[in-house]
This record gives sequence, structure tokens and C-alpha cells, in this order.
Amino acid sequence: MTRVLLSERLVPNIFHLVIEAPEIARSARPGQFVMVIPDEKGERVPINLADWDKEQGTIDLVFMNLGLSTRKLARFQPGDYLQTVSGPLGRPAEMGNFGHVLLVGGCYGLGGLYPLAREFKQLGNRVTCLAEARDENYIFWEEKARKVSDNYRQALRADCFASGEELGEIIKELKDNSPDLSRVVVMGCSYLLFIVSRITRELNLKTMVNLNPIMVDGTGMCGACRVSVNGQTYFACVDGPEFDGHAVDWVEYFNRRRAFLRQEELALALYLNRTLD
Amino acid sequence: MSKEDSLESGLKEKLAARRQQEWRKALRQEVSGRIRLQIPRHKMPEQPPARRAGNFLEVNLGYSLEVAREEARRCLDCGEPGCVSGCPVAIDIPTFIKYIEAGEIDLALSTIRETNSLPAICGRVCPQEVQCEKNCNLVKAGRESVAIGHLERFAADYVRQQEEPLTVSPCGKPGNEKIAVIGSGPAGLTVAADLAQLGYQVTVFEGLHLPGGVLTYGIPEFRLPRFILNQEIKLISDLGVEIKTNFLVGRTATLNDLRQAGYRAFFMGTGAGLPSFMNIPGENLAGVCSANEYLTRVNLMKAARFPEYDTPVPVVKKAAVIGGGNVAMDAVRTALRLGATEASIYYRRSRAEMPARVEEVKHAEEEGIKFNFLTVPVRYLGDDKGRLTGMVLQRLTLGEPDASGRRRPVPIPGSEFEVETELAVVAIGQSPNPLLIRQVEGLKLGRWGNVEVDPSTMATSLEGIYAGGDAVRGGATVILAMGDGRKAARAIDRWLRRC
Repeated sequence: MTRVLLSERLVPNIFHLVIEAPEIARSARPGQFVMVIPDEKGERVPINLADWDKEQGTIDLVFMNLGLSTRKLARFQPGDYLQTVSGPLGRPAEMGNFGHVLLVGGCYGLGGLYPLAREFKQLGNRVTCLAEARDENYIFWEEKARKVSDNYRQALRADCFASGEELGEIIKELKDNSPDLSRVVVMGCSYLLFIVSRITRELNLKTMVNLNPIMVDGTGMCGACRVSVNGQTYFACVDGPEFDGHAVDWVEYFNRRRAFLRQEELALALYLNRTLD
Repeated sequence: MSKEDSLESGLKEKLAARRQQEWRKALRQEVSGRIRLQIPRHKMPEQPPARRAGNFLEVNLGYSLEVAREEARRCLDCGEPGCVSGCPVAIDIPTFIKYIEAGEIDLALSTIRETNSLPAICGRVCPQEVQCEKNCNLVKAGRESVAIGHLERFAADYVRQQEEPLTVSPCGKPGNEKIAVIGSGPAGLTVAADLAQLGYQVTVFEGLHLPGGVLTYGIPEFRLPRFILNQEIKLISDLGVEIKTNFLVGRTATLNDLRQAGYRAFFMGTGAGLPSFMNIPGENLAGVCSANEYLTRVNLMKAARFPEYDTPVPVVKKAAVIGGGNVAMDAVRTALRLGATEASIYYRRSRAEMPARVEEVKHAEEEGIKFNFLTVPVRYLGDDKGRLTGMVLQRLTLGEPDASGRRRPVPIPGSEFEVETELAVVAIGQSPNPLLIRQVEGLKLGRWGNVEVDPSTMATSLEGIYAGGDAVRGGATVILAMGDGRKAARAIDRWLRRC
């Protein structure tokens, strides 16, 4: 059982938990995730590490309350206990000094972006953070991100997310003004990962995406999280979750993410029925 | 592993001395061998196939005390018991069986526990027909072997209470060092139990949220009920073993971190958790999954009780399972219990080469599983949403024997045909879990990514690090893993005591 120390709603649909997990905090690296089981009958759900504190022995989880498990998590209060938390899992994001790095985050990805920015900055990179959101009400951790980046930008959706126009313009402008921009890392919802990869492919900008496929154990034992990258099959939980966004088979990725849609909708509806009475 | 490896020095003498005890002699005289030979083997009572295909309750119901004693009476208590040399952990089988005949079930169980920490489990999942029972002298006399597995299971189920921890170190000095056991499957649990009994402070690190390894995530309830497993694990915790779940060595902490925390010796029982796929077109369609995924959802996450439990599992009318081993049998029988009206095995060799336990195949057939031999998928078919709709299969014939000694399946050109299916479970094997073993610098690995060990001590190429079970063997059985654990425990004790 793992104790929740802080629980807050960051923006209307995104929550933040700080939990006691000293062993995970000691080993955590940017780009990794943990497996959380909310309660006794819960599933194992992967959640990105958004921050950690080795001294305090705590980790920060940021997630969107979308499905059953994240809605359950959003209800946890300080002093409550999660069934289990294990990790850190996945390979850490590839770090290094690439000159100028652009970090794009959307929805819960604005959380996981922060430790990436912090470490890229420490390694001597020039860091630009680009936050994508529907409108300013969905932006969070701006101050935190500004502290560890040289440049902070926002792309507000303004009804044109599907084509990614706003994002495309900003990324193109950044690239034009910064010849040493050599790497993009994207955290957040699948569609954002896909759109940014499409934009940067045209600009020939190396782009790493932090995938979030369906997982069961998260330790490389089941292969539920199979993704095709450059025609090869990888297990996202142990070979990733960070992959080259230009090499991911996105059609397969979206299809596999929908594999349990019907059951997920049913479970959520039953849960909402039960808890809203 | 040769028989010599598994036989402790002095074992023969010990068996012979016990056989000469008065009570044993008396039992032998009480009923003559001729009469014993006339008793037919007692069938294991089972749930009827039609009923059990719709539930997850255990198929085998177990012997009653009377039946067990009668079955024990079939054992001739031979002077040269073949059964013991067929057992990877060299259980003193005649002694435990004679104790059952005498009605001393407690003593029967403690005899088993001398060398086997998980009797209720082994009685259920060991392939006795190729081990102890194969070597039973009754077989040589043209009879069916004594039902050793059923009797082992009976003893464990009947007693279900903790025996006093036994064993003194052969070195004569008790240990007290901290030992890290990585993985809580059958190999790890055995090492832990043995070393704890020698006085060591043992911590078992388990990556998942429940202990048991493959016994928990792999083997279904209808073969190994969870309460049996939990009781066996509790007995091991009661010896003072600490089991730390949610701790993935290699991620949560490295081996070096543990060394700095004071652990002196390590046992890697990390299993063969990496599922193999065939790398054929369409394998990543939604609806194709590994047996590990399918079984983990149902066994570890209780997906059969979705939506009461949150983890879903595909529920389909037509299910196909690829493979012919125990894992394939477990998967296909699980599909049936989840409501499939047609659950089929596709295996590339013929019935004779199937690696599954005979009892599992028999149970599967009784339940109505369809077996398709000499057939292998060559590609999967999907709809425009990326969901599996069927597969293209190819027929094979058997050619010359290959490295495994089994006849190699050879494709028949032009024999492709299609079948519809909504679910394909790939159960063609697993290889060692690479997560930890690839991280340990200098650790010598074999061709399949398995850890190389000295087979007599289970010592790896690195001092103080031992390994066993499927991490070494690739994909074997519970009892072989336990045999490795036993050997490693003894070697670790000798190494730390320098004797």
C-alpha cells in the first residue's frame, strides 16, 4: 500500500498526486513511468513520472481523468492508500547535449515534460518548452517549466488541432530561427505525438515520442504494448516508451490502443453509475 | 540434469536404512506383493467435463483418505526405488507413501517437505508421467504406476499445517548473512525457504504486485487454486523470509544497490517471461496476443470477473491457440471457460511430440477442445480497423529428427487454407526475462539469452551470484526450477561458510 500525500486538480481534467515511494524516487529518470493499481479490484495502469524528490522520498504523478482507472485515481485524497505502485519502469528518455532541444507537451504530458526539461538544461542544452492546450485554462506548471527552460511557448488549439496548424507554424518558426535545433521530444496524448511527428518529419527534425500503449504487467512479460517501429516489433514497456516518432507505425498504434474500447466504456459507465448514486 | 546430480550423497543409504525400520517391515509383511499388484490404480476424481468447462474451479477433486491409503497400498516398497531417481528433488517417495498407507499423513508430508517446499503445487503441476511415475517398478511389472503425484497432493492438502523448520547446515554453523532472491517463482521460493531454514536473512524481490511468479500469473486456477498457492507461500514467509513485491531489481534498484545495502549473495530466479512471437504478417492486429498476456489478464488480474475487476480480456466465440505445450493447454482451456463455443489448438507437430502433460491434454480433450495437428499459421487476417478476423494456416508433415530429437515439421507447399477466428493466442514458448540479466555486467549468457551456470552449484560466471529455473533453462517445469533452487541454496551456504 502506498500513501498519497497530496492530491490536487491542476486544470479541469488533469490531476496531480504526490505519493510516498522512496525507492522509486531514488531510481527515477526522465521519461520513465510507474504502474499503479488504484484499488483492490483495479487494473495496472501506467502513469508517467512528472517529478520526484529523492530527499523527501516522494514521486509526482500527473494524469488526465479519462478512463476508469484515472477517474479512480483522481478521487484519492491525502492520507488515502493506493493498492500498489511499482517502478520506475521503461527505459529513461535518451539524454545528451543536442544543442537546442524542443520539448512539446500536451494535456498530462505537461507534467512529464518537466523532468525532461530540467535534465536537458543541466546537460547544457538550450531548452524550448512548447505547451499545447485547448485554451489557457488547460495550461499548468508554466512557472515550473519556465525555470528550467530558455524559452517557453504556448500553442492554443483554437479549433484547429486536427491539422496542427498552430503547432506547425510555431515549430517551423523555431526551426527557421534556430539552426542548431536538432531534436524534439513529445509527451502527451497519442494524437499530439502523431501530429508533431508529422510536422517535424517534413522539417527533417529528429523527434522522439513517449508512447502510451495498453500495458498489462509493464515489465516486458506480456507484449500487450507491442509497437512497430521501422517495421520491427518492440515492447514499449521495456524497449521504450520513447521511440523515433518518424518510424512508428501510427495506424497500428491507434488500432491497438482501441483494442478494448468497448470493455473500457462499459467499465467506466458502470463505475460512474455506481459512484454518482 | 543427470540422475546423479539430483541424488544427494548418502541418499541411497538413508533410503535403505529407513526401509529397514520396523514399521516398514511390518507393513510389507501385512500385505503380500502379489495382493498389492492386484489393486488397480485409483482414478483422480474430477469435475465432469461439461460442468467444469463453464467454471474456473479446480478440475481434479483429490483423493479421500480411504482412497489415498488404498492407492498407497499399491506401492511395493521396493529395495531399489526407481521413482526417487526420477524425481528432480529426490523426494523419499517410498517413505512418504508408506506413511500414507499407515495413516500417518503428517509424517508423510514432513518426509516430502525434507526436499520439497511446495508439495501441494508439485502434486498438481509436475509431469509425473515422465519423472517418478515413469520409473515406478510397477510399470516394469506391466501395471500402471503408483499415482505418486496424486498421493503427494493428497498429503499436502490433508495436512495443511506447518511443519517445524528442520535442517542444519552441512557445514555445522548457522548462517546469518543477508541473501537477495530475485523473483518469487518456484526456484526463488525454494532457495528462500532452504536458506531461511539455515538461519540466513532472506529477502525475495518480486516485480509484480503478487508473489508466486509463473504459479500466479501463468497457471490457471482450475489447475492450481490460489488458496493452495497462498498457503504454500505463507509457509515460506513464516520461516522468516521477507517477500518484497513491486520491487523490480534492475529498475527499482540495481544489483549493485542491493550489494551496497548489505546483501552478500544473490539468486536470480527471474524466469522465462519474454513471450516469443512468430514474426509473421498481421501478428500485431488487435486480437492476437501472447499466452502470457492472455493468462496474466485472467490469472493475475482476475479478468474473468470483469467488470467486477477492472482488467478486461477478449471474450470471443471462436478462439485459436497456437502451440502444444502446457501453456497452450492452459490458454485454450481458459478460452473455453470464458465462453468460447469453439476453442482450438493449432500445433505444428503431431500428437506424439506435444510437450504438454498427458493429464492436461486428456482434460482438454474431454472438455471439447479441438486439436489441429501439423498445422501452423503463416499470416493473420484483419479488418479495416486492425482487428483480427482470421488466419491463413499451412499444413506440415514430419521430416527428419532435429536437434531436440523430435521429427522436424516440414511445410507442404500449396496446402494453405483459411479459418475465421476472433482471437489468436500465441503459446509457442518463452525466453528468459532480459530486463535484469542483460544489466549485470560480466554475466555470461548462453545462446538463448539464458544465464549460464555451473550445473552442479548453479553458480554464474560472477562470484556470489547464482541462478536457476527458467532464467537458466529457458522454459522448463516447476519441479526442475525447484531442484535448481535447492542446489543453489546448498551452494550458497557452502560458499558463505567456506566449507
